[in-house]
Amino acid sequence: MNNNVRSYKAQKVLERMGKKLNRQMVGSLAACVHCGMCTDACHYVLANPGDVTYAPAYKADKIRKLFKRHFDWTGRVIPWWVSAKSVYTDDELEELKDTVFGKCTNCRRCSINCPMGVDYATFNRMARGLLVSVGVMPEGVAVVSKDQWEIGNQMGVLKEDYVDTLEWLSEEMEAEHSDPKATIPIDKMDADIVYSINPREVKYDPRTISDAALIFYAAGEDWTMPSEGWDMTNFGLFSGDDDLGGAVAKRLYDKVTELRGKTLVISECGHGYRSTRCEGPNWAKMNVDFVMESSVDTMLRYIKEGRIKVDKSKNTTPVTFHDSCNNARSCGLTEEPRELLNLVCSDFREMYPNRAENYCCTGGGGAMSMSEYTPQRLKSAKIKADQLKATGAEIVVTSCHNCVDGLADLIKHYKLGMQVTQLVNLVANALVIEKKVAVPVGEVPAEAEALAGRKILVIDDEPDIVTFISAILEDNGATVFKAYSGDEAIAIAQKEKPDMMTLDISMPGKSGIEVFEELRSLDDLKSIPVCIITGKPELRKLIYDRQVLPPEGYLDKPITEEGLLVNVRKILELVHEK
Amino acid sequence: MSDLLHFSEHILQEVALVFMAIVYTLRLTWLLRFKAGGDRQAPTGTAGYTTPRRGIIYSWLNIASPWAMESTRTQFFFYIQFVLFHLGVVSAIGLSFVIPYAPSLLESSLLVLILQISVGAAFAIGVGRMIRRIFAKYIRAISTPDDYFSLLLLTVWFGFAFFAVPNSTVNGEWHLLTYFFLTAFFLMYVPFSKISHYLYYPFTRYYLGRTMGHRGVYPIRRAPRTQN
Ligand code: SF4
Ligand code: SF4
Repeated sequence: MNNNVRSYKAQKVLERMGKKLNRQMVGSLAACVHCGMCTDACHYVLANPGDVTYAPAYKADKIRKLFKRHFDWTGRVIPWWVSAKSVYTDDELEELKDTVFGKCTNCRRCSINCPMGVDYATFNRMARGLLVSVGVMPEGVAVVSKDQWEIGNQMGVLKEDYVDTLEWLSEEMEAEHSDPKATIPIDKMDADIVYSINPREVKYDPRTISDAALIFYAAGEDWTMPSEGWDMTNFGLFSGDDDLGGAVAKRLYDKVTELRGKTLVISECGHGYRSTRCEGPNWAKMNVDFVMESSVDTMLRYIKEGRIKVDKSKNTTPVTFHDSCNNARSCGLTEEPRELLNLVCSDFREMYPNRAENYCCTGGGGAMSMSEYTPQRLKSAKIKADQLKATGAEIVVTSCHNCVDGLADLIKHYKLGMQVTQLVNLVANALVIEKKVAVPVGEVPAEAEALAGRKILVIDDEPDIVTFISAILEDNGATVFKAYSGDEAIAIAQKEKPDMMTLDISMPGKSGIEVFEELRSLDDLKSIPVCIITGKPELRKLIYDRQVLPPEGYLDKPITEEGLLVNVRKILELVHEK
Repeated sequence: MSDLLHFSEHILQEVALVFMAIVYTLRLTWLLRFKAGGDRQAPTGTAGYTTPRRGIIYSWLNIASPWAMESTRTQFFFYIQFVLFHLGVVSAIGLSFVIPYAPSLLESSLLVLILQISVGAAFAIGVGRMIRRIFAKYIRAISTPDDYFSLLLLTVWFGFAFFAVPNSTVNGEWHLLTYFFLTAFFLMYVPFSKISHYLYYPFTRYYLGRTMGHRGVYPIRRAPRTQN
């Protein structure tokens, strides 16, 4: 190596590569015969016909040429003969970054289609890790990794917000079932089940937590949720940073051990399941002596053991199932979700190809956090969109939060008009629960009054959206003010001092991000809670980049009535309790 | 038989084989110097359906199970070419042992015919592959000089093997000489080229199979396509 002409970062990447290589990776790097059999396995190739830079072997060769130049015989002696090439500049590292992060979701579909058994996804992850180790990575990867290192979870959810949310959901459930046992126990010692979740559930989708809680309650489970170390997701899988992976996994394992939990149940999340259940012990270099399972297994067991009763006639809309790559191609979780779906839905339609051969949601491998690659991600999503459309289903079910976001995004982009949901939602909906306490039905307080007396400002440049949101809020008793631009919003907010605001990010003129920043900087408005509403989830991180207090809530488009009400009520209750 | 042909059939081949064996041993030692990654996790997947052992066997047999991978199912013609090409390699290598050590076997015109069909087909496929490597955009983009040279070497070798099969010197020795010199060069060049992939195959497939079997992925399951 010529140290005089190689940048510091390039030098470090090569040095660290030598330490990262194991026998499996060396085999994969040395064995490719350039046959091209893997080409059509990749959704990027299929969606970009003729663009060779998306071909798995082409992308793999960007890493392979480094390996050949520095570690393989022929490449060290006559590099040009085997296209071996070193890396010298930071610009070359940036180019490599665009390949390993921007052109591959590490979905492993090419790996299972290679006759030689070349596992490209595995060494692509290694290359990501090498780049991350020298600070070359997409901005979103840096932000999320930082949150997971520093705050302990991917989305920077603070402990008090997490606990507040659980308590709020717990109170709601207790009230709804009029049963003091219908709660979410936090940090209960010696529980049979410790339930870990994805921070996305706290932030954007609390219904998945309440649905899971309802199922545990209905099953009479002895369960708990930890107050800390509860995040089962692991950005180390996406960033290739084994140290982060190990630290995050260990945090969770240590908490379960501290609580003396018997089984760690991992809520529906592909990369979370793979990281916690499969890779975590390797990264953390520790053996785990409690049982770990996916909540899909737990729910299926409850039904089989008769601990919960379900009625599939409660879910009659046609559904299809999307296999998360991490669940299907790296953990073999393919049959259980289908078995469960068939028990709780009356019209399940298989998707083709399926199981380990299913296509990526195209938001995998951390792609949802890399906004710079969004256009190519959405273009490559055409394959998935066609696959979804061909099923004729109206709902796509997936056992992965990342896939929920990826699928929702492509469904919106390709105007498929489908809904995305998870098994936990369908199981909860199909539950048959015998009421423990009979409440004499008098005049039930109308749901419509849930927001009575609340003033809410709705800010969106799309009149249809404003009308839709306003109608829901007004139906529930709120007084609604409407603003169609940033300036108008600030003027109304100053005049009316609403209890909260919903704010669209993508608006012409003054963007939602600028409006948000301005609202937070004005003394009379900065304490008004804001719920960000966006059709581009990857833009959320831009909000976090601001030097102001983060918003109180997020909601992704397309908005559902239920999702909107849950979020609005939660924000109002939490903020006004404080 | 001339001294040169005798030399090329015996001493040259033996030296080349010893050289190849030494280099391969070094190559394997190099590969084994890298630590194998372990797997601490408890098995995943449907209990009883997959195990590391089943995964390894499935993975090793993958190449003989064209239905197992989407890539071979959908490119079946290419798969057939692959099979014939590799049968040609086995025939051409076998020939380099049969001629010097068991020439009487070639008195069987049936064996001669089988070997000629085998290496002849491999030759035709080699030509086709070369055309594909030059003209197919995706393949050209990933091809190295070694890819072209290795393919050319094998194709030319098959061509001379075709003429060498009858082991006849009636029309001169040039075809046999060229075949044996090419075989020797081939044996010595292989460890430094992509042709050595078969050395890695058992390893890559073993580890992939072990992991995928332990994690419930291998053997892969699919639902047959039906109308919705
Ligand atoms: S990765 Fe496998 S399938 Fe793809 S070109 Fe290389 S050997 Fe062929
Ligand atoms: S891992 Fe997936 S996205 Fe990456 S090259 Fe292979 S098939 Fe394409």
